[in-house]
Amino acid sequence: MAPTKQAPTRQAITLKGSTNLVTEFFKFAANTILFQRGVYPADDFHMVKKYGQTVLVTQDLALENYLDRILKQVNKWLLTGSVTQIVLAIISKDSRTTLERWVFDINLVEQPTDTSDLAPAKPEAEIQAEIRNILKQIVSTVTFLPVIDEPTVFNILTYTTESANVPADEWVDTDPLAIEASKSQQVKLRSFSTDVHRIEAMVAYRYEG
Amino acid sequence: MSYLPKTPSHRHRSRSEAKTPLTPSLASGVNALSLAIPRSNSPTKGKADVSFNPFLSNRPSSPVRRAQSTSRPASPIKRATTGSLQVSDSLQRQASSGLIRKGGVESRIDVITRDYVPPKAQKRSRSQPNRDTRDRFITARDMTEEVTATLDMMSLNPESASPGHTARLAAATGVPINRRVLAYHEPPPPSASDPLLAQARELVRPLYARPGALATSTSTTTSRGRKIPTAPERVLDAPGMLDDFYLNIVAWGSQNMLAVGLGDCTYLWRADSGEVVPLGEMPEGTYASAVDFSVDGQYLGVGSGSGAVELWDVETQTKLRTMSGHSTQVGCLSWNQHILTSGCGDGSIWHHDVRIARHKVGELLGHVGEVCGLQWRMDGELLASGGNDNVVNIWDGRVGDVAPGARASARWTKRNHTAAVKAIAWCPWQPSLLASGGGTSDATVHIWNSTTGARLHSVTTPSQVTSLQWSPHKKEFLSTHGYPTNAVMVHAYPSMERVVEIRDAHDSRVLYSAISPNGDVVCTGAGDENLKFWRVWEAPKAKKGKEKEGSRMGTGSTSSSILSIR
Repeated sequence: MAPTKQAPTRQAITLKGSTNLVTEFFKFAANTILFQRGVYPADDFHMVKKYGQTVLVTQDLALENYLDRILKQVNKWLLTGSVTQIVLAIISKDSRTTLERWVFDINLVEQPTDTSDLAPAKPEAEIQAEIRNILKQIVSTVTFLPVIDEPTVFNILTYTTESANVPADEWVDTDPLAIEASKSQQVKLRSFSTDVHRIEAMVAYRYEG
Repeated sequence: MSYLPKTPSHRHRSRSEAKTPLTPSLASGVNALSLAIPRSNSPTKGKADVSFNPFLSNRPSSPVRRAQSTSRPASPIKRATTGSLQVSDSLQRQASSGLIRKGGVESRIDVITRDYVPPKAQKRSRSQPNRDTRDRFITARDMTEEVTATLDMMSLNPESASPGHTARLAAATGVPINRRVLAYHEPPPPSASDPLLAQARELVRPLYARPGALATSTSTTTSRGRKIPTAPERVLDAPGMLDDFYLNIVAWGSQNMLAVGLGDCTYLWRADSGEVVPLGEMPEGTYASAVDFSVDGQYLGVGSGSGAVELWDVETQTKLRTMSGHSTQVGCLSWNQHILTSGCGDGSIWHHDVRIARHKVGELLGHVGEVCGLQWRMDGELLASGGNDNVVNIWDGRVGDVAPGARASARWTKRNHTAAVKAIAWCPWQPSLLASGGGTSDATVHIWNSTTGARLHSVTTPSQVTSLQWSPHKKEFLSTHGYPTNAVMVHAYPSMERVVEIRDAHDSRVLYSAISPNGDVVCTGAGDENLKFWRVWEAPKAKKGKEKEGSRMGTGSTSSSILSIR
């Protein structure tokens, strides 16, 4: 009887909860990147309180729906553990060259098989603080990323396992939109982890200096 | 054979390739024959020859055909066909199909004899179809590309290699295996916002920017060696306060009472005790449009939206009489002893003698628009009025001169303002000075000399001037403003310098103001349903002794000044 009573008080994050947390993070991270890198005009964004800070979120309905549709599928893949990486690529509108790649590695945290000696669950506040730090870091990357003075578009790539269940009419195999190794620089950003997932962020940008 | 072209081997190979589709078995045999000789002579060419290796069974046919088409020279150089021509099977086929390639076979013979290795060969041989042959003897390859390509192929059919090896290889090269890169089938939507619109917004932004960066109502500002708090000393809730430029519904009497008209009710707030007294209600269907205290502070005149002027006893909170006659809203009132003067929406100004039954003792017709500002000079000699017709009139105060029904004319008529004049204030320490402020499109304060009629000073403000208050003790005056700054400003006189500007004093335009009888606190009212009290000036120190430090709202000082006024 004891374990069943303890279970709800433990406040552990389940796979589903963690998945939702990660998906939500992607939403705000993508919005922050799109705003900070000027992919969409600043007029399209409005401020929202999130993670104890203000985050700029698009109010363009079309874009909002687009991100929602993508993240819905990402959510499904996260639940099955079949997505390993999400990339937000910023591409020059005219030349179609990839200018920046924002890479989010998704790692599944090893679950201890023995449930008796579970490590104490990570408090949500701590996770939020980590997320906040990533978002702040994304904002601060503006200081060193090259200035983009051409119109850009973005694309979201998902790296899935071979076995992933892919809705064929909605998702297509594609080019990784990589930046040539000789012309790219990479900066590793902070990471955050829930009890189930560990997200590592990285930005690679075209730099021909 | 008088000359030899630079690229014979090049050409001959392309010829031999051309035959492969026709007779594969024969062609491969010819290939083997033709290639065996150059390889023996020049090892560096080995890489180029890999694709023609007849022993590679899994060589796809289509890439070879592509290579042949690319490698075929655009214009074969004619050369003398000397010597014996070996008529091969393939040549015969060419002939039968009506196409004979010149220099097909004999050029091959040339190659064998001369053996020239063209530098171009290597580049061409690295074309795409050669990759999958994976020749182990080739050293000069782009390693990363090759390995990536190889691994890509391996991941497509992983059973071809041992899983352990593939994993090690993948780990070593950093190339992921068994991974799909997916993208959503539709591109992200373009921004809905019109770039032209955004550009236009960018261009007009300076117009909306508020000039300067000044303190808002948050703290204090130090100016000319004195501190002026830019936060209100007290905020009172005034529910139902009308947001109407043409009303004057805040008055502060010499009994230190504040009268406020809130919709159809009039309230009194005793500054001494902070007590709120509801004075009374207006008749059904109308509202208090103007309030003003008599000079002694005992009576309150209340103008109504229907045109009636009511007289209330402040002490007993009873209505003494209603003086009707005006056709529309009475937007402003001003007392001169027993004369209550009212300005009406039709542009007429009436004098009501509150003591007699036939109260209307005079009528001043000088405005064609609504009268929205009205004030008697302290000594009762002059009356200033401002109207919606952008006119400031100064009238002679001798009521007896105005014969009933006679059309009085103003002593001075000033048409300098370009918007409605609501803000009118007489200077308390220089009786000839009159300040008037214009509305939105004017936003200017003019200072007039009422004796000579001269305009002495002007100052342009950032926004609509809604009211003016002179300081009784200092050479300064205060103005309240509407959108966009919603400010309370203090100006020095006569320099007209801005002493302080309190931005966003209210959440909406500051419409009404009243100064406390001892002249230290100004109360402002606005459509945000708040009354705010600003201690912008200091009451003069009483001669008797020092003021109490914690005196709120000038309780002590006000009563002493009332005594002095009486």
